[in-house]
Amino acid sequence: MGFLICAVALLQLIGVFAGFDALADRFPRALLPLGVSFIGYLIYVFADRYENYPKRQRSIQNTGKIVMLAGLALALIAVVGWESVPGFIAARLQLPILLALAGSILFGLMTWAMWRHPTALAMNVNNARQEALEGYLFLSPNLIGFLLFLAGPLLLSLYTSFTNWDGFGTREWVGFGNYGKLLNLTFATLTAANQPANQAINVKVYDELARFSLFGSHYLIGATDKLFWIAMRNTLLFGLLVVPLSVLPALGLAAILNSKLPGMKFFRSVYFIPSVAAVVGIALIWQWMYNASVGWINYAILSAANFLNSIFGAAWIAPQPRWLSTSDTALLAIVVMVAWQTIGFNTILFLAGMQNIPKVLYEAATVDGAGAWRQFRNITLPLLGATMVFVLSTTIIASFQIFEPIFIMTNPAGGPNNATLSAVLYLYQNGFQRFNQGYASAIAWLLFVIIFLVTMIQYRRQRNVTYEM
Amino acid sequence: MSAQSAGSTTIAASARDERPSTGRRWGYWLRNGLVYLLLVVIAFIMIFPFLVMLFTSLKIPQDTFSYPPRMLPREQILAPVVGEEEQKPLYNIAVDGAVREMALVKDNIKIGVYAAPDSPDVTFERPVKDVKPVGGFMNQQKVAYNGEETPLWEVEVAGAARQMVQVGQTAFGQFVDPQNPDVSVLANVRLSEPVTQFTWRPQNYLDVLQLNGLGRSLTNTMLVTFGVVLGQLITSVLGGYAFARLRFPGRDTLFVLYLGTMMIPFVVLIMPLYQLMVQIGWSDKLAALIMPWIFTAYGTFLMRQFFTTIPKEIEEAALLDGASRLEILWRIFIPAAVPALATLATFTFLYAWNSFFWPLVIINTGNTDNHVLTLSLNVLRGRAADSPNLVLAGAAISVIPPMLIFILAQRFFIESATSSGVKG
Repeated sequence: MGFLICAVALLQLIGVFAGFDALADRFPRALLPLGVSFIGYLIYVFADRYENYPKRQRSIQNTGKIVMLAGLALALIAVVGWESVPGFIAARLQLPILLALAGSILFGLMTWAMWRHPTALAMNVNNARQEALEGYLFLSPNLIGFLLFLAGPLLLSLYTSFTNWDGFGTREWVGFGNYGKLLNLTFATLTAANQPANQAINVKVYDELARFSLFGSHYLIGATDKLFWIAMRNTLLFGLLVVPLSVLPALGLAAILNSKLPGMKFFRSVYFIPSVAAVVGIALIWQWMYNASVGWINYAILSAANFLNSIFGAAWIAPQPRWLSTSDTALLAIVVMVAWQTIGFNTILFLAGMQNIPKVLYEAATVDGAGAWRQFRNITLPLLGATMVFVLSTTIIASFQIFEPIFIMTNPAGGPNNATLSAVLYLYQNGFQRFNQGYASAIAWLLFVIIFLVTMIQYRRQRNVTYEM
Repeated sequence: MSAQSAGSTTIAASARDERPSTGRRWGYWLRNGLVYLLLVVIAFIMIFPFLVMLFTSLKIPQDTFSYPPRMLPREQILAPVVGEEEQKPLYNIAVDGAVREMALVKDNIKIGVYAAPDSPDVTFERPVKDVKPVGGFMNQQKVAYNGEETPLWEVEVAGAARQMVQVGQTAFGQFVDPQNPDVSVLANVRLSEPVTQFTWRPQNYLDVLQLNGLGRSLTNTMLVTFGVVLGQLITSVLGGYAFARLRFPGRDTLFVLYLGTMMIPFVVLIMPLYQLMVQIGWSDKLAALIMPWIFTAYGTFLMRQFFTTIPKEIEEAALLDGASRLEILWRIFIPAAVPALATLATFTFLYAWNSFFWPLVIINTGNTDNHVLTLSLNVLRGRAADSPNLVLAGAAISVIPPMLIFILAQRFFIESATSSGVKG
């Protein structure tokens, strides 16, 4: 069976996939039929309104289906463009491709023959074997893609992280060299707080990372890769800020939305909207709002200060920071934007968790005279444990991989003064701008270890929670 | 934190709803009012950036940098002025205590700020050319002012000529009444309030589609999204069915493996996937944006979970009737799984439409023919940094389609969000 798939894969590799680019030329022509198809989908969904009239629902659904299929067929015709088929075939009349084609047809015929029931009976295949065969057959497209695009690259990545590959030339085994360079730190005791670094550490190997004072003595930390540690610190700081900011308000909002007041579904939808939009688009909007001179955020701060001043008769001067180009505020600006985007999503998750809590518990608590806060504290929070752990860990994991907002909003990316250099951004710079692919792979695996630990904690906590329940 | 306590008050409110007494009624309405106020404020915060995007993307270029920022796109009104060939911009100018609409006919008139040397706080603004030097240009009189020898000028104040020094300089514009150009006033142009009217410029969207080949990237994004969604549905249904219903050796081990890969972050994969694409010649090709995302453990898992809930009896009956597996899948499982499929489709759609990191890595910056929207936006950000109306029009093009689909097919989005919560 694998053979069949390999043959097909080979064939497609040579011919069809490169065709996607050519396809893009003609794709606009298919948009109209695709739109028609989408309208069909809408009609189909619309049928849900008539749940109480099964007959009408059926007929509307069928209309939707037909429109949908017709649209798809038209789109296909428009995209493939029959006039180009002969040329396409002529260009690919080469021996290896023909061989692969013949092979795949042969294998295909064989499978088809075997698959048919009578043949299977004739070949004395029992049910279990046939089922297994079919199982592999059904799974094979998925499995091959899985091995090719996930499992294979994963192992390759682990191997690369032990080499000094630049993405093109030969790769040399460097053992733990990459990891060593990333993680290597040195400590030195200073005689004075402002002693130059080159007197304490070997500045040819180490860069000064930080200095601090403890119990009257002064210490200095040096690192072989200073930027990595800065990136890790920024990433950690980002996570520490963004996790509470996007989880706590979400918990509160979910508690409100979980009440039976009218209109809650509307608010739920509104809060969800930011998480639907592309990060790149959102980053551009916020970049404009953060504009120091004509942006809305500084204007809002100014108006708020003026308002307070007029009430209290004070003379506070509103700060007008240059948000994205000051190293103190750049990371904070991105934190605010990311929290704004994630709150809605987390709210939905919490809400789903809360709706799973049996209503009986609240009723019993009300009978016992427990107030709202006690109900929230003693019923909602403990029974939300699994959801809580899940929300926390996904938010943490996502925050460790922060890249896109930083890449779009700060200029140069990671600036000013490395204040927003995140781990993934550093990985990107190493792997795709300087082409130290081995080194970048090592960063990726270090990041993976951290994320893996978070996931493990999540697993264990979830197990404990289910036991308690 | 305030949100939390407000949340608990609603529970209290709904609990009290069952035994209302006149005294508590007021508290009930008050609390609910506060809750709604909070919800509306937060909803406003959630929506506001999108409003900024929408309205800025419709502004004319001169309007984007106006301060204070304003939401609706506006333009300055031009009016014909008697005796002038061109139309002139109108401003609201105070004339003799009344505000009138005046046209700006001349800009950058040099204005000196003058004050008597003994009372520098009382200043008078006069055009530089109307002021005569005391003692003539050749030997102008000087006076000590702020410890420096400063030239002395003859300034007319209330009909009388007084001797003053120049303490500052600025530029004013000359405003006239459009009907009666003899009525003329000097005022600071930057501080004057322009007379504006609502206007909008949908042309921005066409401009941005042509600039940078954004139109091409839009269709590319559609193609990629379409391919990924369709491909992922197919492989997930097939794989999910195999995992759910067919017994074959190694199935459970494989399934655990699949589950395990769900927690591998994308950043670990990005490097080796890139290397793989380079090896098989797909770098810079749209295929690289589609193929790797067709096979996901998440989709397979979702479909498997759904398929296991379908009763086995139906399937067995069909098998006895001689239906093949493919028929069973097509006739029984897929129709039953439409909600799950739609959920998976919306999830995948969002992912494919919004993805940025992978296209950034795999598609060359120079190869604009294969750019997707997010990539083009990244380029646009640099090229049109000084015209936010264009940048935000581009952002709107990428942000609005998912939103429209969200509004139309909300429940699948909400389900796709919550289904990701079930997976742990």
